[in-house]
Amino acid sequence: MLRSLERLVRYRVVIILAATLIVATLVVPGFLRLSTLALGLDRGASIGLIAIGMTVLLIARQIDLSVGSIFGLCGIIAVMLQPSLGVWPAAAVGVLAGAVLGAINGLLTVVFRINSLVATLATMLAFRAIAHWLTESQPVPGADIMLSITLSKVYLEIFTLRALLFVGLILCLHAWLTWTVAGRNLFAVGSNPEAATASGISPDRTVLLSFIFAGVLAGMAGVLQSLTTNTGSPMFGSEILVVIIAAVVVGGTRIEGGKGSALGTLGGVLTITALTTAMEFQSIPAYVQQVVMGSILILLVVLDRTIRPGPQAKAAPAT
Amino acid sequence: MTSAADPKAPQADRFRRETPLALLATRGGLILAIIGVLSFGVLSSPMFLTAGNLLNVLTNMSIIGIIVVGMTFVLVVGGLADLSVPATIACGAILSLALQPMLGTVPAFVLAITLAGLCGLVSGVLVGYVGINPIIATLGVGTIVLGIVQSLVGGVIVYGTNPATADFVKGRIFGIPVLVLIFALVAIAGHLVLSRSYWGRWTTATGGNPIAAEASAVPVRAVRAGAFVLTGLCGGLSGALLGLTLQSARPLVGVGYEFSAITAVVVGGISISGGAGSVPRAIIGLLFVQLLTNVMVLNGVRTPDQGFVLGLLIAAAVALDMALRRRGIA
Repeated sequence: MLRSLERLVRYRVVIILAATLIVATLVVPGFLRLSTLALGLDRGASIGLIAIGMTVLLIARQIDLSVGSIFGLCGIIAVMLQPSLGVWPAAAVGVLAGAVLGAINGLLTVVFRINSLVATLATMLAFRAIAHWLTESQPVPGADIMLSITLSKVYLEIFTLRALLFVGLILCLHAWLTWTVAGRNLFAVGSNPEAATASGISPDRTVLLSFIFAGVLAGMAGVLQSLTTNTGSPMFGSEILVVIIAAVVVGGTRIEGGKGSALGTLGGVLTITALTTAMEFQSIPAYVQQVVMGSILILLVVLDRTIRPGPQAKAAPAT
Repeated sequence: MTSAADPKAPQADRFRRETPLALLATRGGLILAIIGVLSFGVLSSPMFLTAGNLLNVLTNMSIIGIIVVGMTFVLVVGGLADLSVPATIACGAILSLALQPMLGTVPAFVLAITLAGLCGLVSGVLVGYVGINPIIATLGVGTIVLGIVQSLVGGVIVYGTNPATADFVKGRIFGIPVLVLIFALVAIAGHLVLSRSYWGRWTTATGGNPIAAEASAVPVRAVRAGAFVLTGLCGGLSGALLGLTLQSARPLVGVGYEFSAITAVVVGGISISGGAGSVPRAIIGLLFVQLLTNVMVLNGVRTPDQGFVLGLLIAAAVALDMALRRRGIA
């Protein structure tokens, strides 16, 4: 009984994804048409790229609440530098800025020993403020409108450039997490930092690198978003956080650290994307969508805490 | 001071106390900082030291201050932060105005605050009884509540129907603005509960060492949940007052208030790791943050840009607290 329940929890991504797809197909006419799927996948790629970084951080028992702000800020930087640097160097600087912002988060956590939840709460506010300051709270137009058309071109009937990037990167992440020593070390750091230190792994280094990785990914997503829409806006990414955490948690990654998988996150992102697309096709207002996303997040986190495999079912509540 | 504490080091480890150094740095430093901001304000803007401006600061401070009282409990109990504040403010503001025509002013006011308290209860149960990380729980609950409140009124701005209530809330009793009076009442009640009552002692004990507190028969889960219920009620009250003052409520009316409140509490020297702190200290922190914000506004710093300073303040205050704590214990 418990074992089957455990298996159910473990492979919940597949079940939830299948259920979402079936409901979406029944409710939305033409949902399974390739053009709809391509559109959905393209939009999911933004969330997905950020979710990749978030997965790594959650496994390392950290979190980054500032990803939405990094997403917005890096896009703005990439767009604002276009006239002086050219499109592609500016994009590179944008992604690099993501690395720097991630490093700031990492340093606050590792050097100043601030709980990453609180540290990134502070930087979420600060980075967003920088975005407002740079743009004077106005959206900034990009230099090359044609570029956004190139970027939204659909290859192989279903993949846009960033969707391809997302799927490619998440497969790389899967390989890295399962087959490399560094990937296994990440799990060690997340599940027991003391034991990891004793085995010669430096948790500080791992955590710092994870933050930089998450910053780069959020930056990349932000730059691609800004190039595709040909705008940099200080509002980009301000409501993305709950969706991303929900996507990662649907995929079975635990907020308590030490557990998670790349393929799970892929499933989670696809679920959330399918859900969003279906709700939008049914013209459900944004605030109801927020209720749905929040409920998914809370339900799954509660599920994770109450049903836990193994004998340590009744552990003390964390804080 | 520190050498005297040495033999008791293991004890200090088990129950986090204020270190003398931290006390000095936060109390003395903060008062110096307030004096600094005051003098800079006086020098930089002729508008700063006018009765109108200071009254403005005080009224604004009252609205946030009510939330700060609740947030103090959340931090002391070791609950990190309550991010559902914008949602409970919106709940208080929108519902107290939207229900006015149906129920009458006072019942609508009470119901709005009760519902906000109910949101706090949901977060509280998730944090205290289920054991979910407080930030994730309140982030999720906040999103849900904000969505529900918006869908109740159809996602539009709600306007007040009874201007007399606005006059009352904006009015004065014995020359003191009503808002300030309400804030003072909430703050005094909060202070007495935290420092003089069982519940307050339990709150501090739970934040200091949950396992020891549980062993001493403190209802740890209920105490944790209680802090979030209190913040929910405070958010609702603050939102309802805000709604009545403005006679209009948009769904995003409370965005940013959670950060102002957290900044105030943390700058007041209350540790993010819980177990120590008092309402007056949080209010001194709030005073500093409000004066600083006011000086920035008078000097032409736009509101969205001020987030940078707030974020910096949170990070600096928490980093300082962590550094002093490590030094104090080691």
